[in-house]
Amino acid sequence: MKSIIERKEIQEKIGEIGTADILVGIPSYNNARTIGHVVRAVQAGFAKYFPDKKCVLVNSDGGSTDGTMEVVQDAAIDFQSILLHHRVLPAFKITTPYHGIPGKGSAFRTIFEIADSLNVNACAVVDSDLRSITPEWIELLIKPIIEGGYDYAAPLYHRHKYDGTITNSIIYPLTRALYGKRIRQPIGGDFGFSGKLARFYLTKDVWETDVARYGIDIWMTTTAIANNFKVCQSFLGAKIHDPKDPGADLSAMLYQVVSSAFDLMETYYNVWKDIKGSESVITCGFQYAVGLEPVNVNVDRMIDKFRLGIKELIDIWRGFLPDGIIDFLNRAGELSKEEFYIPDDIWAEIVYSFALAYHKGIVNKGHLLKSLTPLYIGRTASFVLETWQSDAEEVEEKIENLCIAFEDKKSLLIEKWQEV
Amino acid sequence: MKNIFERLISEPLEGFFERFIQFLPNLLSAIFLLIIGLFAGWLTSKIFCRLLKVLRMDEFSERHGINNILLKGGIKEKLSSLAGRLTGWLVFFIFLIISLSSLNVPAIERLLERFFLYLPNLFVAVIILLIGYMLSNFFGRAALIAAVNAGLKASGMIGRFVKLTIFLLAATMALEQLGIGRETIIIAFAIVFGGIVLALSIAFGLGGRDIAKEYLEKKIKGEENKDEIEHL
Repeated sequence: MKSIIERKEIQEKIGEIGTADILVGIPSYNNARTIGHVVRAVQAGFAKYFPDKKCVLVNSDGGSTDGTMEVVQDAAIDFQSILLHHRVLPAFKITTPYHGIPGKGSAFRTIFEIADSLNVNACAVVDSDLRSITPEWIELLIKPIIEGGYDYAAPLYHRHKYDGTITNSIIYPLTRALYGKRIRQPIGGDFGFSGKLARFYLTKDVWETDVARYGIDIWMTTTAIANNFKVCQSFLGAKIHDPKDPGADLSAMLYQVVSSAFDLMETYYNVWKDIKGSESVITCGFQYAVGLEPVNVNVDRMIDKFRLGIKELIDIWRGFLPDGIIDFLNRAGELSKEEFYIPDDIWAEIVYSFALAYHKGIVNKGHLLKSLTPLYIGRTASFVLETWQSDAEEVEEKIENLCIAFEDKKSLLIEKWQEV
Repeated sequence: MKNIFERLISEPLEGFFERFIQFLPNLLSAIFLLIIGLFAGWLTSKIFCRLLKVLRMDEFSERHGINNILLKGGIKEKLSSLAGRLTGWLVFFIFLIISLSSLNVPAIERLLERFFLYLPNLFVAVIILLIGYMLSNFFGRAALIAAVNAGLKASGMIGRFVKLTIFLLAATMALEQLGIGRETIIIAFAIVFGGIVLALSIAFGLGGRDIAKEYLEKKIKGEENKDEIEHL
């Protein structure tokens, strides 16, 4: 396996550290505003919960121009302020630009490489735009690995009901139905994993695909489940982070995540074809309710985009969506805002039909998945209207119903998958 | 008077009749060959199509994505039927050439010779048109999807415009390859293309002044009632 760590000073730093127990990676790109808080939280986490362990913090940067790397280097924790009086082993800090396709996945690859070089026992990765991260996150992501014997700790957060809509409407129900594990935030972005799993990730040749971009999170979770690594969830509280760049293209994001999930369906067909239903996974951490910032949603504009999609793209969808779904979509395009609703079973069938079309190669993959955007926006609008008055518990109930619809329709997916 | 009639009318007519009688067997054989060609073409097409079906060519093309390539290029016909029809036309074309040669007319022979020399150009032009057609479909659809995702009301028009422009470009290249009105076509294409761009600029400039203003204002001041949904 060829190492991608080319910088001499990084190799020297790794040589100087030798081996380590814990590594926490932070991928970044122009996050100078928020990364300082994340670095301090990680350092405090090391000091508070792992004072006797050799800990390393790695910042894998995508060529920031706003001084992100300098902020990481300068960030320091005042141990007095967190009432820490026991002896603490100094934590090491590595700041390095990553190589390869620009994206979160390439940043993670560098983190995995350093973890492998340092032969660490446990790793975690946390996003650099987090505002709600606390030192406890490090404990909650690392301890299940070191003390619980788990290989993968997925995050579990309280999020606003309209936060993480790709997760809620596609990735969670799909992953749960396919692989049978109820991991609520499969693309949460903050994970804990063993050194063994990091080395396993490095053996996979996926770094030139969408896994190198936004596809990394679903790839890590699915790879861990499908290869029988021991998985759990850690409750981290609220997830509040900087809003994504408004210029970030939704359809590109959707394409990268969904194509990675669909590619994994090809890779692990033999794993998911025999799985029926789903089971919950152990959740570590003490669960509590949190207040969340309200989210602004423009439903009218979302429904307009859905209608435009119906008007212009129905001929493309006709090639692979069942006639019943096409009829439904034509009718839905005529509905007023008050009547607008896309039921769970229809949505599950739409997602499965796209997965089948992707599998059969009926339409160019880029066209296929980008044409999913108006339907996804329509489904999100339907969900917003349906849950406008709902509290967090009721919303979870609705997501649970959607997951059941995905599980019920799975036999249809398997049947059609085998026709090819 | 009689001599003049014989020299001016009768003799040429007799000569023509004599040459026609000599030419008639060639003509009949050419017509006969053409009819045989038509029948052979039809028969070959059917046999070839059936043979490919027996050999499960359609399943093979489905498995190896050939059907998808054709479908992506807008060709909905199955590979066996398409290959059968092409073979049929090829057989008919061969018979057509044989039938024309059997006429033994120097002018036609010269024409055939020039045609055979021209054939590679025709082949390249057909390939250019075919690729152009597929590319126009591909990029037209990509533009349509991108425009829909951007929420542009004129997405359909944008998709069709991109498709037409690419196909026009391919047609221009094909015609240039065939040597048909080389300069005229390039100039015509440039004028039409430039005209469209100018027309669009004027249309956007005058008709869409308010939209452009609103768009720029939104971009500079920030959109009101913006979605804050975090999708991932």
